[in-house]
Amino acid sequence: MTTTALKNPSEAERQLTDLFSQQKPEASQKAAFEAFTRSGLPHRRMEQWKWTDVRQAVSRLATVDTAADTSIELPSDAIELRFDGSAWTIPDKLSEGLKIFAKSGGHDFAQADALPLGALASSMTGHSGEDMLMIEVSAKVDQPLVLTYHGGGAAAFSRVVFVVRKDCHLDLFEHYSGGAGFSAFLAEFGLAENASVDRTVLQESSREEVTAITTTAHLDAKATFKQTALSFGGKLCRMETRLEHQGEGAEATLNGAYLVASGFHTDFTTHVTHGAESCVTSQLTKGAVADGGRGVFQGKFLVPRTVGQFTDAEMQHQALLLENGAEIFAKPELEIYADDVECEHGNTSGQLDDDALFYMQQRGIPKPEARALLTEAFIAEALGDALKGVRDQLIEATRRFLRNQGSN
Amino acid sequence: MLKLDNLTADVGEGDGRKTILNGLSLEVPAGEVHAIMGPNGAGKSTLSYVLTGRDGYEATSGAATLDGDDLLEMEPDERAAAGLFLSFQYPVEIPGVPVMTFVRAAINAQRKTRGEDEISAPDFIKKAREIGQKLNIDADMLKRPVNVGFSGGEKKRLEIFQMMMMEPRFAILDETDSGLDIDALKTVADGVNALRNEDRGMLVITHYQRLLDHIKPDRVHVLAKGRIIKSGGPELALQLEKEGYDGILGEVA
Repeated sequence: MTTTALKNPSEAERQLTDLFSQQKPEASQKAAFEAFTRSGLPHRRMEQWKWTDVRQAVSRLATVDTAADTSIELPSDAIELRFDGSAWTIPDKLSEGLKIFAKSGGHDFAQADALPLGALASSMTGHSGEDMLMIEVSAKVDQPLVLTYHGGGAAAFSRVVFVVRKDCHLDLFEHYSGGAGFSAFLAEFGLAENASVDRTVLQESSREEVTAITTTAHLDAKATFKQTALSFGGKLCRMETRLEHQGEGAEATLNGAYLVASGFHTDFTTHVTHGAESCVTSQLTKGAVADGGRGVFQGKFLVPRTVGQFTDAEMQHQALLLENGAEIFAKPELEIYADDVECEHGNTSGQLDDDALFYMQQRGIPKPEARALLTEAFIAEALGDALKGVRDQLIEATRRFLRNQGSN
Repeated sequence: MLKLDNLTADVGEGDGRKTILNGLSLEVPAGEVHAIMGPNGAGKSTLSYVLTGRDGYEATSGAATLDGDDLLEMEPDERAAAGLFLSFQYPVEIPGVPVMTFVRAAINAQRKTRGEDEISAPDFIKKAREIGQKLNIDADMLKRPVNVGFSGGEKKRLEIFQMMMMEPRFAILDETDSGLDIDALKTVADGVNALRNEDRGMLVITHYQRLLDHIKPDRVHVLAKGRIIKSGGPELALQLEKEGYDGILGEVA
């Protein structure tokens, strides 16, 4: 079989092409792979990837020895789906209003050109095994749905499509804990009128792994999408969310925090289009980066003329350089063509306040502890909206990270 | 108790470095409250920062001891654990850390440094409630992040709240009266007076006599140009109020 050839492919790109060639793709999968080959693995000469060079980080696909170190105690009523790197395990009993099935065959991915790693995930899934899920929500589901991703050898791909019907609700927790040399995951959300999703994401992996978690969301009128993400990064990690308000009065909250140790890299990239009137977007991203770590924030609000009228949108990115040698790159962008909108953004990177540190020491708190306490409070602000059942554990994971940094 | 002997200290770095304390000697015995008064730029706040160990405030010669222990050798948190407390002239905001969390962490950190057990949660809460009542600090204020959005008066009351919670052996009150209205001044002074006892010493730094109407000092010292130029009883503060610093400075010169 033939596929579009990549120009000067890297070894990893050749391996990916071989993997795809072994499949019997349907038209949508072919189209997605072709979209992927137009850029290949994203690299620093692409504007959106200038700080996150996947082509360089994934020189070849190879397995890694890793273990997830955060165990999260799930809420007792949680419905857990597990992905082992090639297939999903779905529990026999599901809540009323929740339909989950593995889908084989293709499913169009409309954003393939804007999201090359989303395109890759959609081209590689749905061939065999059970790596592609359709999740339909047709009630207010009380029990939280939990998706656990762990394992996968040299490369792992998964695609999950959420369809949330009118007036329906889903609480969702996703835990990505690595296990594959290269992972590309795609989650797509379609929210009908007045539907709501409350999503919390925890990502962690080892220094050897490259992970891309791509999310798309489409919101009809009065739909609400609330996302809280905590990322510890990896050799390279890209958390990319592309959201579009398509119906009047939709609301999105995109909060996130990144904690980056030496040798780790995390990238939060978001793109929000206000494609309907009177929609609200609120975004708070916080970061803390140690010596030798790298944090990236790229946020964009696009507010077109006419349809974007009465937009209310705020983007804040605040990051702490915990030590000399930490790197933070940030690009907040507002592109506004409508004339009656309220849009704000703020972006700061700095260090902990010396006055506050001294004040705490004067009260008896040793400096490393004072630093950890201040940093934890700083990060926790972005995690306040996480799902109740896991929020304290995310803050505990933050505390553990900061304690480890302090003892280095 | 607190003994400063010929203390000299520099502030700032590089070309901006200046000698602010210039051979300051002072002794505050246990059980006494001393006041330090002086014109702007005399070195009053510098003295409080040198004693508590703030970065950029460096003692270059002389000695400062608390019950014979060399303060200048210790980290700021060790000085706190040794019993030294500073009520800040400008209390600092600690975003995201509620007052109760902060004060409990501080008390337990001090106890840990001293090798003592942590304060139990019920004991801590009971004590906080009692002291809060005395200072007109309600439970809601104790849940808010330290000093964030507090008025000037609330910040000063919170300083005294912390002092009463921590029961330091020696307290420095740096212009605790600034930003307080008359009622708040009385509340704060009552709190300070409640802590006066034979084992505890205090140093009250102030511009004005009015605080000393409420916190009656045993001794008053005048600080100018980095040293104590005159000491006396409470009547010295009244003389200062009447004649101004120029009068006293002229007299000494």
